[in-house]
Amino acid sequence: MKINRVKTLAVKEWREILRDRLFLSLAFVVPISMMLVFGYGIKMDVENIPFAVLDQDRSAMSRDYLHQFIDSRYFDYQGDVENEDEIDNLIAGSKIRFAIIVPPKFQETLLSGRPIAVQSLIDGTFPFRTSTSKGYVAAINNAFNTQLLTAYISQKMGVTAEQAAAFMSPIKIQLRYLYNQELRSIWSIAPAMMMFILLMTPPFLTALGIVREKENGSIYNIYSSTVTRGEFLMGKLFPYVVISCINVVILWLIAIFAFGAPFKGDPVFFFIASVIYVTCTTGIGLLVSLFSKTQVSAMMLTVVVTIVPAVLYSGLLVPIASMDAASQFEAHLFPAMYYTDIALGSFLKGIGVEELWTRVAALLLYTIILWVISYNLFHKRVKA
Amino acid sequence: MAMTGKELLQLGRDTVLVCAVLYLFTLDIMMAGGVKMDLNQGAVFVHDSDHSMASRELIYRFQPPYFKLSGEILNEKEGIRLLDQGEALVVLDIPPKFQQDLLQGKPTAVQVQVGASNTVLGTLAASYSAQIIGQYGFDVALQRMGLTGEGLERVPMLDDRHRVWYNPNQKDAWFMSISELLTVITILAMMLPAAAAVREKERGTIEQLLVSPLTPMQIMLSKVISMTLVILIGTAVSVGFVLYGFFEIPIKGSLPLFFLVTALYTFAMSGLGLFISTISRNLAQAAMLVIMIMMPIILLSGAWTPPEAMPDGIRQAMYLSPLYYYIEMAYGILLKGAGLAVLWDSLLGLTLLGSVMFMFGVGRFKRQFE
Repeated sequence: MKINRVKTLAVKEWREILRDRLFLSLAFVVPISMMLVFGYGIKMDVENIPFAVLDQDRSAMSRDYLHQFIDSRYFDYQGDVENEDEIDNLIAGSKIRFAIIVPPKFQETLLSGRPIAVQSLIDGTFPFRTSTSKGYVAAINNAFNTQLLTAYISQKMGVTAEQAAAFMSPIKIQLRYLYNQELRSIWSIAPAMMMFILLMTPPFLTALGIVREKENGSIYNIYSSTVTRGEFLMGKLFPYVVISCINVVILWLIAIFAFGAPFKGDPVFFFIASVIYVTCTTGIGLLVSLFSKTQVSAMMLTVVVTIVPAVLYSGLLVPIASMDAASQFEAHLFPAMYYTDIALGSFLKGIGVEELWTRVAALLLYTIILWVISYNLFHKRVKA
Repeated sequence: MAMTGKELLQLGRDTVLVCAVLYLFTLDIMMAGGVKMDLNQGAVFVHDSDHSMASRELIYRFQPPYFKLSGEILNEKEGIRLLDQGEALVVLDIPPKFQQDLLQGKPTAVQVQVGASNTVLGTLAASYSAQIIGQYGFDVALQRMGLTGEGLERVPMLDDRHRVWYNPNQKDAWFMSISELLTVITILAMMLPAAAAVREKERGTIEQLLVSPLTPMQIMLSKVISMTLVILIGTAVSVGFVLYGFFEIPIKGSLPLFFLVTALYTFAMSGLGLFISTISRNLAQAAMLVIMIMMPIILLSGAWTPPEAMPDGIRQAMYLSPLYYYIEMAYGILLKGAGLAVLWDSLLGLTLLGSVMFMFGVGRFKRQFE
């Protein structure tokens, strides 16, 4: 392998990228705009859930109870309904996500010291939202129950309200959130987005860059030249890795300055790990390009092998720990997961080489395997 | 018509492309269905300084599906290490004299440390832990009052009963697989027509078409129709084999309506695809542009995040995303069994937005021939 030849090829590729102004600007604009759109757009917090109430009691107590929902910032009160059929329609049309039905004689039953069932109807189309809404409803009901029981106990046992309240909840919960005390979702999303964008864009650029030569036929110039396989791949891909490394820095700066995410780890370690990661994802693009003859199929294949694992198997939306065994296994097969750990660890947890070296090693191994496979699959001869 | 046939033939020859499309419509959706959004067996480690009946009873309440007891640790440092490594999600710290304090009615405190590097998971874990501990305290209090079983019949209490509609067991697979299908349709509906148009440009075969007696409208329609057909077939395969066959989603609404809506949506998106093809000179550019346009459309649709949680400005912008209407109707028809009576406003929205987008794409496409 001669460095000179690699250099020449890299310069040639670099010129080609530079000349295609749209391509060049997209190479930088796409990652940045994706970062901004996602950063400001993804919000997993379930808030302002629209709901309606069906109050069949219309007593002071039922109003008091329902106000706990209406006043909550988690819910968005959409009004009263007259009967259950109306609820059906509202939920079917997604105008509300759940409804609460207070039965007749709500106040009378409770005042006479008997339990009563309150029903909530919840839209189950989005299970994550469903379970969160269910949790909120349960929390409000519990609070109301504590109120009821406190009053009941203080009356029955003849103690003050404070004593009764202490009696009702003997265990205090000291909750501490580590790494992200204020639970700002943007802090978690920004590092995860770096993973996502750096997984998607490098293979796209690379695969299209190579397949374009194939489709235009200019690759025959390479085939017939004295350049070896290794030299071609190195020279061809070097510019793309450089572009991605620049993107790493840009995205890192956006995460810190635009989104205010804290960076507690070691920047040098993080940068080295990121370079390995983009080399790895560039390798994915290379592999894809070897399998496809046309740019369309290169595009489709890239979508398949990157977007899907990036969204589903990286921990971006769905934590690895909550997947079933099969999905967890699949997640380990993609590089995204390891880099998510590295990014979150470096940003939020402030951990470095000591704790994360296994992840870096996995990425490195992945990279080497990808490049070796591609090297062996890349032939300078056209199959007869 | 002959042109439509030609487009289909051309597509069929590209084996990799056909395989990729097929993969997206089947295996990919199956994989997506396997993903769970809820907290599932979050790892709990316990630092129990009491080792009493009461502490054990509390610990054993951390059970699947939400939690999984992963072990006991001897000091706090160990807990921090496990949280750093991501091996523990929750570390529970039970103080000494926990049981004694409970029995004497003295207040006591349990420390819960939650790793919140993933805020969704952190929030869920915290709220479930708080529920478990709160319920335990509640039960202890009731026991001390001698109120168990029958006794509870004579206490004023709310009984929280909920009924979940459309997806009574809250299977994530039902939601995720449909969501993935819609995403796949979105990607393909833009990518395929854009690619088909740009390819002609790049190869120079578009000149051949220009000198032929075909009008630009015919050239373009043939591309859009053939790609729409491909997508509809893929969707049919997906709905039949994956959604209904594999995940056993009860398809409640009318399938013809669903396919009609899908065709409408595909047309709308292909308008965008054609627009992209006019401003890009080669496929690489087209691909980048597709991603650029696709991301906000998906993001603003509520496919991944609940629309109510979006900030106000973005919520208004959602009305500009065609996927927003399509999602509303797709879930409405497939899961809720809703008909036109309920969905007419979404259909109207999609039709209006779709016609504008399609006209726009057509206009741009025509102009490049002049």
